[in-house]
Amino acid sequence: MPALDGRVAVVTGADQPLGRGLALAVGAAGASVGLVGATDPLAAVTAELDARGGRATAVDATLTDPTDVSVAFATVADELGGAVRVVVHAAMDPLAYEPIPFEAVDDQRFEAVWEGTMRAALAVLRASFAQMRGRGGHVLVVTPTISMSGAPRLAPYAAALEGQRLLAKSAARQWGADGIRVNCLAPAPEQVPIGVQSLDVSLAPAALGGPGDPERDLGPVAVFLAGDDAHFVTGATVGVDGGVWMAP
Amino acid sequence: MTGALAGRTAIVTGAGQGVGQGIAAALARRGASVVLAARRAETGEPAAAAIRDRGGEATCVVTDVTRGDDVARCVTETVDRYGALHVMVHNAFHGGRPCRLEDVDDALWAANSRTAVWGSYYCARAAAPHLAAAGTRGRLLFVTSPAGVEGSVNLPVYGPVKAAQRALAKSLAREWGPRGVTVNCLAPVAETPALTAAFDANPVLRERLEARTALGRVGDAERDVGAVAAFLASDDGGYITGQTLVCDGGSFLGL
Repeated sequence: MPALDGRVAVVTGADQPLGRGLALAVGAAGASVGLVGATDPLAAVTAELDARGGRATAVDATLTDPTDVSVAFATVADELGGAVRVVVHAAMDPLAYEPIPFEAVDDQRFEAVWEGTMRAALAVLRASFAQMRGRGGHVLVVTPTISMSGAPRLAPYAAALEGQRLLAKSAARQWGADGIRVNCLAPAPEQVPIGVQSLDVSLAPAALGGPGDPERDLGPVAVFLAGDDAHFVTGATVGVDGGVWMAP
Repeated sequence: MTGALAGRTAIVTGAGQGVGQGIAAALARRGASVVLAARRAETGEPAAAAIRDRGGEATCVVTDVTRGDDVARCVTETVDRYGALHVMVHNAFHGGRPCRLEDVDDALWAANSRTAVWGSYYCARAAAPHLAAAGTRGRLLFVTSPAGVEGSVNLPVYGPVKAAQRALAKSLAREWGPRGVTVNCLAPVAETPALTAAFDANPVLRERLEARTALGRVGDAERDVGAVAAFLASDDGGYITGQTLVCDGGSFLGL
């Protein structure tokens, strides 16, 4: 039986290649998938999931609006016939991806990237908690290794990623007793459109030869972490970058 | 004045008490002219006076680090008074009470985010041109916490905002390296009013902290923590950048 058979999942950020690949992997593992975000770009991914014989829906939500996110999660649960037990949070405001010298960052941009990212992560975590409390579940927060390596001209983005990564640890520490696990997946910087290569932040090339394919290379790790075999893993950051960033 | 920091000017935010006061005193003891950026004159002025009483150079500039214009004004006043700014230390923080993550409200989030992360952003932005002018003497230092790496059970947004400071520091270290400017974080544990309050609220905490600490004691803000900040600010610390220096007597050993 597939690892996530019969479970209801929510994936954010599926409008980007990384989130799309993770959504397809979660679907292939047997989960019904609700794509939460701006629905326009999500229709193609929903169609792909449907075409592969899975159940999928897209629900419109502004991720920085906590009420909107809670309602979207509840809608996914209704439409797909069960509480949400698997969440993959891969969304990011595209503004965060724009490299810009620190001195050119203004309050408006810092607000959008730092506060926006954290508000969305908090909203997704709390909506997950509402769905999973008493039932258990897994939340995966996607934090590219830039969070740990830093990158020039991307300071607000790196700060927001690292804030998310620690928010996941807080949730993991507090919600373990509720059967809720929270982990982070750390892909290579090539997986997001920031123009940074692994070799820009590491002396070592990828041991496994590349940043990998979101669905085939990163997807199985996301599925494993969400599944029962990972029932004792929480608060962890799993690097899935082909063997570049090896700290710790 | 002689000393490793003679001729340097430093700003320390949150310098009216605790770790900030200890860092300000340690920098001044080594010859730096120090501006104590404190939110309240009631604490900042006596802390500056104490430094002057023992022969150091110190001025209090009342500053709210959650306001960009306030931080910019503090930097301008510092440069007007002392002619340069070599060392910017952002230490000020206001975090609030223990709570559940699902219960975090806007006010609690804002207190953490505004003082730790926005404060870091404002300090870095206002100091940037002066640190660039200081070149290989330019230093930006954020005071963070071991909780920014390992997280905290009871303070669910403390870890995130302290972690964000670490990532800001790493990114700015890479960006400003070509100018010779270093950017680091210091993660201390020291006797402070904030820690005393935490011990008062949870008496077993002191015992647990001391038991986990290899050196068996909670640090002194000036002698144990300030001295390390002064090292990072000095020429001897000039090849360290993008790092978090944990200064907690050997409690958190996760780096």
